[in-house]
Amino acid sequence: MLPVAQSRGSALRGVLLLSPVQLLANALIAGSLAALIAGGLALVYGVLGVFNMALGQLTLIGGYTAWWLHQVAHMSVLFSVIGGLLCGALMTWITFEVFVRPFYKHHRFLPLVTTIAWSMILDGFILLAFEERPRSILSEAKSMISLGSVLISREQCLMIVLTIVALLLFAWIFHCTSFGRKLRAVVQHESAARSLGINSAILHRVIFIVSGMFAAAGGIFIGIDQNLSPTLAFSLTIKAYAAIIAGGKGNIWGAIVCAYVIALLEQLLVGIHWFGAFYVPAGYQQTVALLFIIVILLLKPSGLFRSFARTA
Amino acid sequence: MRTFFALSSLLALSLTACGGAGDEGPIKLGYIGPLTGDAASYGIDTLNGTKMKVDEINAAGGINGRQIQLIAEDGKCAGADAATAVQKLVNIDKVIAIVGGQCSGETLAAAPVAEAAKVILLSPLSSSPDVTNAGAYVYRDYPSDALKTKAMAAYFQEKGLTKVAVITENTDFAQGFRASLKKDFGDFAFDEVVEPGTKDFRSLMTRLKNVDFDVFLANGQSPATIAPMVVQLREQGMKQLAITHDAGQSADTLSIGGKSVEGLEAINVPALGKDTAFGSKFIAQYGEPQGAAAFGAHAYDAVGVLAEAIGAVGANGEAIKGYLDQLEEYPGVVGTFHFDENGDVVGMSYALIVVQNGAWVQTRPIAIPE
Amino acid sequence: MNFLLHIIATIAMGAPNILGFNMLFGRGKILHFGPLGVSIVAAYATFLVVMATGSYPLGIVCGLAATCSISAFFAWLSLRLDADGLGVMSIAMHLGLLAVVLNWSSLTRGALGIPRVPRLPFLDSTGDFALLGTCVAALWAWMLWQVDRGTFGRKLIALSEHEWHAKSLGIDRSRVHMLAFMIAGIGSLLGVLQYHQYLYLVHPSDFGFPAFIFFVTVVVAGGPGSVRGCVVSLILLSLLREGLRFVPMSPDVLGPLRLILFGAILFVAVWLRRDTLFPKQRTV
Repeated sequence: MLPVAQSRGSALRGVLLLSPVQLLANALIAGSLAALIAGGLALVYGVLGVFNMALGQLTLIGGYTAWWLHQVAHMSVLFSVIGGLLCGALMTWITFEVFVRPFYKHHRFLPLVTTIAWSMILDGFILLAFEERPRSILSEAKSMISLGSVLISREQCLMIVLTIVALLLFAWIFHCTSFGRKLRAVVQHESAARSLGINSAILHRVIFIVSGMFAAAGGIFIGIDQNLSPTLAFSLTIKAYAAIIAGGKGNIWGAIVCAYVIALLEQLLVGIHWFGAFYVPAGYQQTVALLFIIVILLLKPSGLFRSFARTA
Repeated sequence: MRTFFALSSLLALSLTACGGAGDEGPIKLGYIGPLTGDAASYGIDTLNGTKMKVDEINAAGGINGRQIQLIAEDGKCAGADAATAVQKLVNIDKVIAIVGGQCSGETLAAAPVAEAAKVILLSPLSSSPDVTNAGAYVYRDYPSDALKTKAMAAYFQEKGLTKVAVITENTDFAQGFRASLKKDFGDFAFDEVVEPGTKDFRSLMTRLKNVDFDVFLANGQSPATIAPMVVQLREQGMKQLAITHDAGQSADTLSIGGKSVEGLEAINVPALGKDTAFGSKFIAQYGEPQGAAAFGAHAYDAVGVLAEAIGAVGANGEAIKGYLDQLEEYPGVVGTFHFDENGDVVGMSYALIVVQNGAWVQTRPIAIPE
Repeated sequence: MNFLLHIIATIAMGAPNILGFNMLFGRGKILHFGPLGVSIVAAYATFLVVMATGSYPLGIVCGLAATCSISAFFAWLSLRLDADGLGVMSIAMHLGLLAVVLNWSSLTRGALGIPRVPRLPFLDSTGDFALLGTCVAALWAWMLWQVDRGTFGRKLIALSEHEWHAKSLGIDRSRVHMLAFMIAGIGSLLGVLQYHQYLYLVHPSDFGFPAFIFFVTVVVAGGPGSVRGCVVSLILLSLLREGLRFVPMSPDVLGPLRLILFGAILFVAVWLRRDTLFPKQRTV
């Protein structure tokens, strides 16, 4: 599957003594988070060809709203999560109407610059509203379960399961319903879809808002699992785009797979005693995503998984 | 709209460029710190500490009858912005002294300008060893390396802890701490540096499970990274002692860490908690500190020692420098200290503070061997 | 007066880099988001050598070599990738270079930066830097203006409008891109050489992504590709940014407000320039 795997043969034997399953579990947790965000974004990018650089801030807004609802307004966890998702959807809708739609019919790169502007504005507002201090949505200690040699918390299990359920649900809608067929038609060839009577304008909105809700879900996940601080935003955006570009333009499942792959590589890079000789300095963990983009784009500029669009 | 802004800012510039300092009127004190950006949490804390002391002095009648006027500038934790900030403070506002920079990059960029203008630059937070030689007018009331890490090394020796696992955040603050602890203590059993802002330490924790260590040092820049380190350590079932330094001793560590940080220790200057005079007053006026109370306290003392100097010798940079160099001791919130020949602070005392039942409790002082 | 000189000096020292970026991004419509990556390489290559050997000429030569290599690499990327890929890839390169600088602390001193950078002997006061900076910036702007008006500029525009047609007219895309990136790289080097001497400091915090957003704002607001517009908007926006320090508002509110204001300015600028920033191709 990965070109990296072949060269790790001997190191793997050394690794087996080092609970790789725990590393895999870590990768699942981190990957689910990224997969949600990347999946939504891939849909937007595949259909509209538009970059949404305010994505990280939208993620944070979802998380912060859930935090505020739970910790300040003392609502129940479920209610706060739903509130966070709704708020994320609302902000994404605003993003679309003001910063994307008036621009992408002129050229699809214009929203790149406008969403950068929007991300700055959102940064300012987040700083004013929530200050620089870190926020965590749940305040109780997490209860750990141990599955074999792996230690994982109940909340993390729930998150992973929910992510997989959400992705499966999305897959079902995408591939097995008529609404999904319309979506796929728009992804493949928008003018042709429109000529068949599919209302692509509404679908654009729906796609954008769904990507926003996924992003907000990712933010809530981070708020529960780690903590939220205003400076997370940009690295989330970059990682999501790493997954998309590597996965191939317009290929949603490619992006999701790449999100998990990047998470796996990050955990493995730092966790394994390479060739029994050295450890990679942990400071390079975040650069895995960057390296991933760089290597993939150098070797295969169109991405790992080509999208199969007929041109004639 | 652009032209309007440009013209008005040009006008403002030209007007203020012609201001002058006098012997009457308010004493101008400058402040440079990161009020936006990644480092904003301790920018805000040090600003609030500064403001608190300035308000106190002004309420008590000012210095020799003159009120203090505080002019704060945003350094954004970048050399470029700090350089512009110090230029404005020195040339336009004509400040007598500056409490700043907070990030070491800010202090190093501001130092040459302050030095040339004979304006005291007193940093409450810069810990980089480069600040020691940054200039004759550059002081700091934050210990550079020797003190904090000597205290921690002494504590480890006292408890017989020989194998230390450290995870460091790659900022000048945390890296400085790590470098000097290595000098004072020796090699670490596990020594990793992570990118600033990392919150996922799981793979490192997985590796750490196979390492033989006695104590874990969470060497982060702020509770946003320190708390997850400890939480994830405990999640993986490791029960060794966890310890951190002043950046971790804050209410945010408790709120994020929850039960996982029970038993977390910190080495910090004493008497800063909620139940002390300084701590409770700070929280009453400005709310819980965004970073840690220690940062506000260092800034508070910076203003205090500067005010004492100005009160004694007047509002003149060279005279203040002379006073600070001769200063025997200043009883501040962070300890009774004075400055050595490089402007570094000497004489701080440290205490051990532990999380007990969800609150930081000060247990005992830590003696620093001479 | 000194403060005014300082402002003039900082604007002038930042100008060559932004003007080079203006040519690439504004005129050539090449989505190169990594000019600060080039700056990092230029700054660290030059000043590490200067600090190690004490000799400026050697440092400048090394800086030039490093800048040309990294610019050539970016040019190669621009030829190989499509626009989207280049945009993301150049951001990745910028962040990757920053991460290397931060982590390879045995070479670069990591997060501590390089303090006490010596100044060239004839540069002493702020006034000297302001004068030199303005001369260099003016010369550079004039040079770029000539280039832009000449054959090279026309080739760049032709490639940005329609790549195939331009190629069919005999315009060599590789050469044009390589040259454009080299020019931009030298712009970065010029800026970096003066600026870090002036600050006496090379610190990684000066190379973050927010600094790059300022570049984009200046270029878009001034009219993408126009040298004169870029110079004017650079001056005005820098004055605005520093002028905001004089607004009598609490600084911890002022900071976020400044972010919001500049975001709004960028948004308005894109709205006004939506047809010139990325022009729609004629389809008939």
